[in-house]
Amino acid sequence: MSNRQETPLLSPSLLGRLERMELVSRKVFRGRMKGERKSKRKGQSVEFHDFRNYVPGDDLRLIDWNLYARLDQLFLKLFQEEEDLHFYALIDASESMNFGTPTKLHVAKQLAAALGYVGLCRADRVSVQALGPMGRQAPVLRGRASLWKMLNYLDLVESGHNVSLFDGVKDFSLRNSGTGVAVLISDLMDKQGYESALRMLIGRRMDVFVMHVLSPEEIDPPIRGDRRLIDVEDGDSAEITLNNYALQKYQETVSSFIGSTKTFCAKRSIAYVPVRTETPVETIVTKYLRERGVVR
Amino acid sequence: MNLLPSLSNPLAWTLLALVPAGIIVLYFLKLKREPVEVPSTYLWSKTIEDLHVNSLLQRLRRSLLLLLQLLAVFIAVIALLRPGFRGQTAGQERTVFLIDNSASMQTVDRNETASRFENAKRLILARIEAMSDTDSAMVIAFNDRAETVQSFTTDRGRLRDSLKRVAITNHSTDILGALKAAAGLANPRRSSEIADVKDIQVADAKPADLLVYSDGGFQTVTEFSLGNLKADYVAMGSSEVNNLAITAFSTERNTERQSEVQAFATIENFGQSTISTTATLTMNGLFLDAEAIEIEPGEQTGLSFIIETEEAASLTLTLDHEDDLEIDNVAYTGLSPLRNVSILVITPGNTPLKVGLETEKTAKICTNSFFPPSYMQTDDYKKRAQDGIDDLIIYDACSPAEMPATNTFFIGSLPPATATEDSTKARFSGNQGAAEGTNAADSGSTATPDVQGATDPNATNSNATPADNPLAKEQNWRWSSPESSVMLIDIERTHPLMRYLELFSLLIFSGRGVEGPPGTVELVGADVGSILAIAPRDGFQDMVLGFEIVSRNSDGDAETNTNWYAERSWPVFLLNVLRHLAGAADATGAPSYRPGETVRVRLESKISNPSVKRIGGSPINITPGPAGSLEIIDTEIPGNYRVESDTKLADLFAINLFDPQESAIAAVKQIDIGYESLTSEDGSIEQRQELWRWALLAMLGLIAAEWCVYSRRVA
Repeated sequence: MSNRQETPLLSPSLLGRLERMELVSRKVFRGRMKGERKSKRKGQSVEFHDFRNYVPGDDLRLIDWNLYARLDQLFLKLFQEEEDLHFYALIDASESMNFGTPTKLHVAKQLAAALGYVGLCRADRVSVQALGPMGRQAPVLRGRASLWKMLNYLDLVESGHNVSLFDGVKDFSLRNSGTGVAVLISDLMDKQGYESALRMLIGRRMDVFVMHVLSPEEIDPPIRGDRRLIDVEDGDSAEITLNNYALQKYQETVSSFIGSTKTFCAKRSIAYVPVRTETPVETIVTKYLRERGVVR
Repeated sequence: MNLLPSLSNPLAWTLLALVPAGIIVLYFLKLKREPVEVPSTYLWSKTIEDLHVNSLLQRLRRSLLLLLQLLAVFIAVIALLRPGFRGQTAGQERTVFLIDNSASMQTVDRNETASRFENAKRLILARIEAMSDTDSAMVIAFNDRAETVQSFTTDRGRLRDSLKRVAITNHSTDILGALKAAAGLANPRRSSEIADVKDIQVADAKPADLLVYSDGGFQTVTEFSLGNLKADYVAMGSSEVNNLAITAFSTERNTERQSEVQAFATIENFGQSTISTTATLTMNGLFLDAEAIEIEPGEQTGLSFIIETEEAASLTLTLDHEDDLEIDNVAYTGLSPLRNVSILVITPGNTPLKVGLETEKTAKICTNSFFPPSYMQTDDYKKRAQDGIDDLIIYDACSPAEMPATNTFFIGSLPPATATEDSTKARFSGNQGAAEGTNAADSGSTATPDVQGATDPNATNSNATPADNPLAKEQNWRWSSPESSVMLIDIERTHPLMRYLELFSLLIFSGRGVEGPPGTVELVGADVGSILAIAPRDGFQDMVLGFEIVSRNSDGDAETNTNWYAERSWPVFLLNVLRHLAGAADATGAPSYRPGETVRVRLESKISNPSVKRIGGSPINITPGPAGSLEIIDTEIPGNYRVESDTKLADLFAINLFDPQESAIAAVKQIDIGYESLTSEDGSIEQRQELWRWALLAMLGLIAAEWCVYSRRVA
């Protein structure tokens, strides 16, 4: 089932196109360092923000002397501060992601690398990490030169760490207290449910994006007959006679699952992006993600 | 060949019903499911939960494989129920099988190994096997009587069993009774006249096919209408036959020579070719005679054998010729034994008579009772005389008041007058005289009144009407001459009573000639007229001797009147009297009856515990009915039958086919029933070849193999 990476995570052509993109944050966050993003802070950018009365102690360089000439009062001219953006790409590396051709995990890593590279190019604070133990080793990257670090980390990420979404997100939240854009790349097939995990991200005031990765084999299983289905994560089994009716019921269940996820995300301002693994990453990033407002 | 069980068995139905149920159970209990790894059973579980709601129906609805298998099994079950149609043009759903089990059906035709009867059973069995489940049939066996072996039923097993029970008989054939039995339901009787418009039938007519399996050896049925019966005739056997039959065989003693027995046989050729053979006669199992015969087809010939025997004998005539029907090649007959007769002697005392009746030879055939004339006044005598218990009553020098109901022999006396009603009174008065005479004789006086009366009837019977009536006079015995010495002139030697007698040396001191009623035969003629004569009387015979053997003098002492008792002819004469007047010897042979006929034999009441035995068979004890009659019903097998009592032969009879209709074994190709003529048809039917059963078995095997292969592939 597992398909080792036949294709590189990022192709050179994709890198060229990604360099011209930037991550879109629907919220304005306070950054940690000087960057290219608007910040809630007032700073020294060229973009005017407001005036306020001078109080003793203010930097005299900020006094608007033209206003003082006209009004004979001292006003300070405030500018918008520009800071960096915290971008987190959370990869579900559970065993269920190791499914499909190419595997969902591989597609997830490609997406994470592409989005991470976009962030690196825009001097954002990028952290691409897998949920679970591997997340602790994830580096926090800045600058385009950190691309290789990111790719090296992603290469190390493998399936097998069966951590539930909630546990993984919780662990991530404990380690990262800041806000920013969080992209959860997962198949959301967690028997404990994905809702609590997403709620936790929202509770951390993150701008959450969900990339729901599904393989065609999951949407339209090619198996028929009397089968015993074995869950690769927990070994659970289910006996079923797969005929057209059963498959139809399954597909109805999948559609219902996707629909309920969309509804859940929409209610909570979470951008939901369905991803089919057979779709090339270039198409996903340059077309779908742009359409959904993840990048521009 | 019936390797598959009959579906009439409930167990077979149960097994068939279990086949589809078993497939369904195996389908669901199938353990081998192919394990498949899926990323998560999260969504599958939800699907399975939905499926569980109506999983059974959904599986059945969506599983094409299971449906196909169930369909195949359903077709197999339907096929095992033998759907289809008969290859013949069947009429109604009701069939009546008439099977002829008469003697002629024992015929084994040329080029056949089984008898006609067995072939008929085989054909009927094939018909029964070809019946559908809704068809019903009945079986009637007929010979000279009809027997409904099985009434209408759809159960082929019962029909088969009933057919097995039908056995061949030696009887003749009469189909009318069987036809009436067959028409019972097809042609219900009307409750009133046919022309009556208000008539309502008592039952609905149920038309039926009538199949007659016979060789046609029966008389044309004219007084029968087939009505709703659609009759077909299946002729059993061929018209090219070979049969020589004895159609008659009897014996008769020569009335002139009792020891000479003549046996007559009629032999007829019912075949199509001339037959030369020999007929062998055996007596009591010993070869006696043989005669060569040659008979043209359709002709008959007579055979006669002369045998010398005085004893009872069993004769068997056998044709030394092997033909198609064996039962008519042997015929049986018997010579009746000398009967044991009962003699009542009324005599005042007659030693020569007593000695003559108690010789060794007469003692074998008679039982004597001696009584004085006074015995005639007792009720015992009257009862004996009235009932005819005795075979012969000898009145020695006396006469009864009324003639007994049996044969009589009067010695030196005349029978009483019996004629018209008017003469009855006179006879009584004469009887009184006779009684007086007997009383006188009893008391030692000479019996003269009768003699006197006979000499002068007008004088002795002054008030007697019979004497005045010439007609009555001619019808009574009377003396024809006065008493005088007698010289014998002529003897009727041809009469059985006079056989072996030499009487001309007799001396008779005193005697009278006798004249009897019309029909009187003179046995011994003398110079005084008939001295011994015999005359019939209402089925009996009366013999009168014109002289006494022992007479009485005036003192009442006995005197010899003749020297006959000292002659050799005396006991011989008495023996002849016992044989032919008392009936100890029967001139005819033993009677012959048809097989199955009830034989009635009248025995002497003295015989107790009689048993009937066919020669070569085992004896059967039979309790005689009133008046010593026996009814013997176990007469199926031809042969000589002996009725014995304590190893003593009491009677004989024979059972023979003697039926030219049965011996004419050429199968009739057309029979007439009522106004319809039935032409023989081929009794065989287009029997289906049951190969489809094997095809079905192959199909079932294929399904099983397919299932097995499929299961392994999935595993």
